[in-house]
Amino acid sequence: MLTFIIRRLLWTVLVLFVITVVVFIIFFKTPGVDPARAIAGRNPSAQVLQEIREQFGLDKPLPVQYGLMMKSIFIDRDLVSYSNQGVKVVPEIAAATPATLSLVFGAALIWVVMAIAVGVAAALLRGTVFDPLLMVLALIGVSAPVFWVGEVANLITQGTLHDTFLFSWVPPLGYTPLTQNPLLWFKGLVIPWITLSILYIGLYGRVLRANILETQNEDFVRTARAKGISERQVLLRHTLRTSMITFVSLFGLDFGALVAGGALLTEVVFGIHGVGYLTYQALANLDLPTIMATVVYGAFFIVLVNAIVDIGYAWLDPRIRPT
Amino acid sequence: MKLPAARSARLQPRAWRRPRFRHRSGLSAGAAALGALTLILAACSSGSPSSSSSSSASAAAGHKGGTFTILANSAFGVADPAQNYTLQQWQLLIDTHDGLVGFAKVGGVAGSKIVPDLATSIPTPTNGGKTYLFHIRKGIKFSNGQTLKPSDFVRTFERQFTVPGPTSFYSGLIGADKCSTKGCDLSKGVVADDSAYTLTLNLTAPDPELMDQLSLPFAFAVPANTSPKLTGNNVPPGTGPYMWKSYNPNTQAVLVRNPYFHVWNATAQPDGYPNEIIEKFGLQVSDEVRAVQNGQANEVFDGDQIPSDQLSQLNSPKYASQVHVNTLTADWYFALNTRRPPFNNLQARQAINYASNRAALVKIAGGSSLAVPTCQILPPNYPSYTPYCPYTAGPGHNTWTGPDLAKAKQLVQQSGTAGMKVVVNGTNDQVGKALVEQMISDLDAIGYKATPQLLSTSVQYPFVQNSANSGKWNVGWSAWYQDYPAQSDFLNVLLGCGTIHPNSDASPNIAAFCDKSIQSKIDQAETMAATDPAGAATLWTQIDHADTDAAPWVDMYNPKQIDFLSSNVHGYLWNPQWYILIDRLWLS
Amino acid sequence: MATLLEQAEVGPELTSADLGRNPWALAGRRLRRNRIALAALALFLLIVVLSLAAPLYAKYVAHVNPFPPNLNGHTVVNGNVVPVMQQGGGTLHLGETPIGPTWDLGHYFLGADNVGRDVGALLLYGGRSSLLVGIGSAVLCCLAATVVALIAGFFGGTVDAVLSRIMDVIWAFPVYLLAISISTELLTHSSGFQFGPLHVSASSLWLPAVIIAFIFVPYVYRPVRGQVLAVVNKEFVEASIAQGAGNIRLIFSEILPNVVSTVIVLLPLMVATTILTESALSFLSVGVQPPNVSWGTIIQDGTSLLYTRPWVSIAPGIMILLTVLSLNVLGDGVRDALDPRAKLRVEG
Repeated sequence: MLTFIIRRLLWTVLVLFVITVVVFIIFFKTPGVDPARAIAGRNPSAQVLQEIREQFGLDKPLPVQYGLMMKSIFIDRDLVSYSNQGVKVVPEIAAATPATLSLVFGAALIWVVMAIAVGVAAALLRGTVFDPLLMVLALIGVSAPVFWVGEVANLITQGTLHDTFLFSWVPPLGYTPLTQNPLLWFKGLVIPWITLSILYIGLYGRVLRANILETQNEDFVRTARAKGISERQVLLRHTLRTSMITFVSLFGLDFGALVAGGALLTEVVFGIHGVGYLTYQALANLDLPTIMATVVYGAFFIVLVNAIVDIGYAWLDPRIRPT
Repeated sequence: MKLPAARSARLQPRAWRRPRFRHRSGLSAGAAALGALTLILAACSSGSPSSSSSSSASAAAGHKGGTFTILANSAFGVADPAQNYTLQQWQLLIDTHDGLVGFAKVGGVAGSKIVPDLATSIPTPTNGGKTYLFHIRKGIKFSNGQTLKPSDFVRTFERQFTVPGPTSFYSGLIGADKCSTKGCDLSKGVVADDSAYTLTLNLTAPDPELMDQLSLPFAFAVPANTSPKLTGNNVPPGTGPYMWKSYNPNTQAVLVRNPYFHVWNATAQPDGYPNEIIEKFGLQVSDEVRAVQNGQANEVFDGDQIPSDQLSQLNSPKYASQVHVNTLTADWYFALNTRRPPFNNLQARQAINYASNRAALVKIAGGSSLAVPTCQILPPNYPSYTPYCPYTAGPGHNTWTGPDLAKAKQLVQQSGTAGMKVVVNGTNDQVGKALVEQMISDLDAIGYKATPQLLSTSVQYPFVQNSANSGKWNVGWSAWYQDYPAQSDFLNVLLGCGTIHPNSDASPNIAAFCDKSIQSKIDQAETMAATDPAGAATLWTQIDHADTDAAPWVDMYNPKQIDFLSSNVHGYLWNPQWYILIDRLWLS
Repeated sequence: MATLLEQAEVGPELTSADLGRNPWALAGRRLRRNRIALAALALFLLIVVLSLAAPLYAKYVAHVNPFPPNLNGHTVVNGNVVPVMQQGGGTLHLGETPIGPTWDLGHYFLGADNVGRDVGALLLYGGRSSLLVGIGSAVLCCLAATVVALIAGFFGGTVDAVLSRIMDVIWAFPVYLLAISISTELLTHSSGFQFGPLHVSASSLWLPAVIIAFIFVPYVYRPVRGQVLAVVNKEFVEASIAQGAGNIRLIFSEILPNVVSTVIVLLPLMVATTILTESALSFLSVGVQPPNVSWGTIIQDGTSLLYTRPWVSIAPGIMILLTVLSLNVLGDGVRDALDPRAKLRVEG
């Protein structure tokens, strides 16, 4: 088991390395990109460009530049953005993380609670019309593009119905840090939370319902029923826990992906300056240091969470031996 | 006549104003914390808002107070004034720093006049126009308490070269040609005498545009102990009525009053009314407008493009006193790649000029109240401008009335380029994409096969400038706003033979247009400027018309600027160089 | 409540006479009895037909060419000729607003977009691009993933390890960076690419299709590989090997047929996913490129008009929602049909 864990973690490091190398190469192959020009300010002379190249080591071979950049991300943590040399990238990402975490944690709380409610309700109401109805509702949540839902939410809460009592409390778009104004932090995040969670409520509700129905076939559940325990008790005390295994592992993967910057579209549509938003800005401006740092941050989370989930599976079921 | 080497050096890589990024709503915009509402209502004595340039002391005292909040879609990059080349920061730098001279901080045409600021007067040059002796005012302090001395200017000018950025504005100083980011010795070019309190600038050749160049924030004074290297986002102390308290490009910039400031020339640098100026970054433009409508902020940064659906809202009479529209001395144009077919052919270039539907393009810009169609290079209200438009339907030659498709098709046939493939390059934001699509439609209508090539804003401008890419596009969008009101700023910088730099991302003559006879007229006009300004002005007009006839561009329109302010803002002034004068606004 | 019979392996509607019949025919019967899935299939086909009919609508009903801008154009509303773009009123006359929905099929049914084009006609053309890219990339993705999964699962060992790690890298890779970078690179090659005899133009729909397919290969790879592993260990495969079957025969005759059903179940769901992804990439301007339009590009065009002309953004979003929903429901139905022990059943 221990060797398996170590091997898995080593693979994680290797995957991270490969990703950063590929990002590096892609960046320098993209046309229109000249970091020296970005650093040198607007419209510098050729002489200034050359001096910048020498000063920043941009004329060195690519592997050396890669090494220097990795060093400044991990060791020195003084990597400077190409778009604005007054900005240090690593602290910039650290400062953006609370916004992403606020968004993702809140949405996750909502979707876990609602998904459990939906999944349990659908399983309990099996055979009535509510079961397929709930499932179709869940599917609608899964089928709508999240950025469109966000735009429609903005249209309603900021535009058409903004002046009514329903939505007049919605503040202008943007993120307020919790430490600055907790009430505004909360009010500004409610609509983004709901938007982001709609997709996952649908997904997880369906998964949970499926697992509950599957678990209900198991022997231990039949035994509980045979003992005369009520159906509701059977569901809540016996079935639910086992059904949650898939739920929990999927949750780990999705949560990890969102924290890694996967909520990019939601952040952009609602104007929340989190890591996803930073990633998008960096890509639009072709700012390699920020791109690299957000990629490292994001890939690290995803790969780590994947590894944890895989290790968890292997621990739970020794028959499963993912390579 | 052959030009002295220094002159052609000045025509060499020269700094120019980059087209301002248009900030669109949508995906290129973001949102940041709008946060707490920070309007502090200040007691304000009754009395009409002062609209003249120098307000009496009592009126000024009465209007002081409050926090003025500006909302901008994005920050302005690194804040070091030796590098920053954005109007966005310049509008703030004119409030925190001063130069030897400056544009008068008043509204209207008087705002194009240059007046002495830290110098006591504007000197007449001696030594054949190569030496300027400035007397520096005494008793002026920086915001950190240091007293301004002439030797501070030495470091200021050196930083133009040791900090990466535009250098050629000041490359006429003696010793500048040896300066680089490694080091700079301007001891012969900038001579400071701290006991006599004078500063002497020695040039390698006469430069009639020197006063304009000294009025740009690059040349605003910073203390002599400022680092020669980039100071990042820390702005060095200045002598203006405000000082930089903080700048975080992800959230906001904050200016507070400079405790050491006193008025020495109210035309050049009057005192400011708000106690604090805050610029917040990262909001979607549509949200900026909504916030100003609700009184939660005072100004939408005038460089942000307001989306169409809110433009129509602003027509409502309730916003009549809050919306100001002003003509800009700027061009929005499509450069035609004269390096290769079809647009190396004059008739093909003229054809698309006849065919281009400028009325539709103006609609994309927001309608005729926001853009004026044009065919020529110089914009209206500019020195040497006389209306000239040969590419219009109908008999007239001065104003564009409509496209002439018949003439255009005829020219295409004559040129022998019919049926050729044309690539139209532009930016991938809303307006950029729409302009490209309209151009494609116009090209297709006269017999070309046009396709789009849309790049993100930060990539597109260097891309079309670099000759290495010239095989990939035929028509490329660009825009140009004046650096200062000089004809050469358009005609020589954008269409001069000397501003074509092969294999460089900084080659502002995007069309790669070089006509020797026009160039010799340009050189002549520049030399004439000092001795015969009127003759030079007439010559520039001829150059403008000759360039228009040669059709290196399809010039589309001259844009207008909207300033949208909240209802409690008064004292609006429009300065042709700096546009809105922020610290001259007062809050009720 | 659930009874023993309902939990049995054979579905309630099947009798002992069905045992031994062709499992595909059985699946077909199950699918046909699933009314909700059939309704979803009908909806999806309706959308496909409407999208394919785009040129017919544009030419014969709306009488427009919806692609070039039409800023100076006019149309008829309630018998009056009105300009498509209307200048602002008041004293300032700022802005040009396109007309809103006229609800008249022949004249700008859903109104105009920011350059005066007929949104209704664009919507149908957008459907063509979105569906083509979506279906194309899903098919490509499933094909590629199946091939890789077959190789990985069959050969096992190091091959499996290496391939699985490559899949990990692709999955962890920032999707948008890949898309933006590839798009920028490709856009600047305006004359397109030569792949041997193939010429691909820069605005070809194949480019976003391939990018999206590539991104999702790991997602399909995992379950298919799992299925391959499960099959590889079964006795009938061992029997085949004992009979001297070569690798190719084993893969194609024994393993692939048992894996196909997994892929078929995944296919509608992948089309749903790729359509959503394409709309996101187009929304960010790195998906479908002009002169093509897709539902995602129309949504993006509508964001600057969101508060005055919301239909420009709402309509394509509804189309995406309906298409993806019908595919998801259909996908559930297909899964139920092919695997009666399936857990997610949509009753019908």
